[in-house]
Amino acid sequence: MMCRRTLNRLFGNAANLLGWALLLSLTALTVNAQNTPAPNKEMDRVQGMISQAKKDAEQFSKAGGKPSDANNPNLKWAADLWQYREKHPASPATVAATVEALRLLNRADHFSELYAKTDTLKPDEAAWKQVFNVLMIAASKSKDYSYLISKAEALIQTAPDREIKSQAQFNIGDAYWRTKDNDRARKAFQTVVTEYPGTSWAEDAEGNLREIEFLNLGQPAPAFERTTISGDPISLAGFKGKVLVLKFWGTY
Amino acid sequence: MEEVPLLKELYAKYLDQGVAVVGISLDDELKPLQEMVKSLGMSWPQIHDADKSLMKLFNVRGTPTYYLIDREGKIVAKDIPLKRLGSAIDDLSKK
Repeated sequence: MMCRRTLNRLFGNAANLLGWALLLSLTALTVNAQNTPAPNKEMDRVQGMISQAKKDAEQFSKAGGKPSDANNPNLKWAADLWQYREKHPASPATVAATVEALRLLNRADHFSELYAKTDTLKPDEAAWKQVFNVLMIAASKSKDYSYLISKAEALIQTAPDREIKSQAQFNIGDAYWRTKDNDRARKAFQTVVTEYPGTSWAEDAEGNLREIEFLNLGQPAPAFERTTISGDPISLAGFKGKVLVLKFWGTY
Repeated sequence: MEEVPLLKELYAKYLDQGVAVVGISLDDELKPLQEMVKSLGMSWPQIHDADKSLMKLFNVRGTPTYYLIDREGKIVAKDIPLKRLGSAIDDLSKK
């Protein structure tokens, strides 16, 4: 606004004003492109890489390629997306590029590279939320949860964000639970509940604690009494003597 | 929803053998649930778990999730894929 008023005083004439305005906005655009990339353009660029990676991977697997093959296109795309992250650390698309690069390494069973790259993430990065999911899938595929657990333990100390800390603590519990170490799982989930009350992870941890306690195979199913959508009363006790399938579902 | 035809088949096959199916819908709204039950012809009873209390009681983390409960009310299987449900029921009948 200031500029415009000054220009008006300086030139007064509309044609000149238009010319200056055009020049100014062009300059602004150039400066803008150099300093902060346009969010949509950057997201489009990374999304384009991600969807091309997906297409290449589908073609590769259709042609009989196996995840661990050296020419798995996921490796090339992981490298490209990681390069994007390193060149544009402040881009709004960096989280997406980071997560996808790590996901593709996991898909190619390149666990040691996945872990080496994960080690370079800073404790305050927004990508952690999704990176934990990738690490959990990698751990369950390789049947080795040690990296996930040690990384999560480190993050509980270093992450500034309570959400990331609580997720890290939850993942420790989940990792022990999946390896059937219920004592350690219980302890870790209990810590989520007491240390991070009010988080979604605390709520999930409470559910898992109940499951470890009461929902094991061979234990009596929890009793319930409800009304069906047709208005009939229904209860677990009413199915005694029958084999019962409960299907939890949704129309969505 | 692609599982519904398979579950209908299973339901029809085991109905005479003392096997019951109960659907527990986690939908927020009742209307889409009623419509889908009707349009897909699901004849087993449905509970609308609007307050998610059953979801919490059984610690359900995603849908669909199946629980298999034996004649004494004990948990036989949880998080079992539909394609393995039939053989799990057969195993129970042999006991």
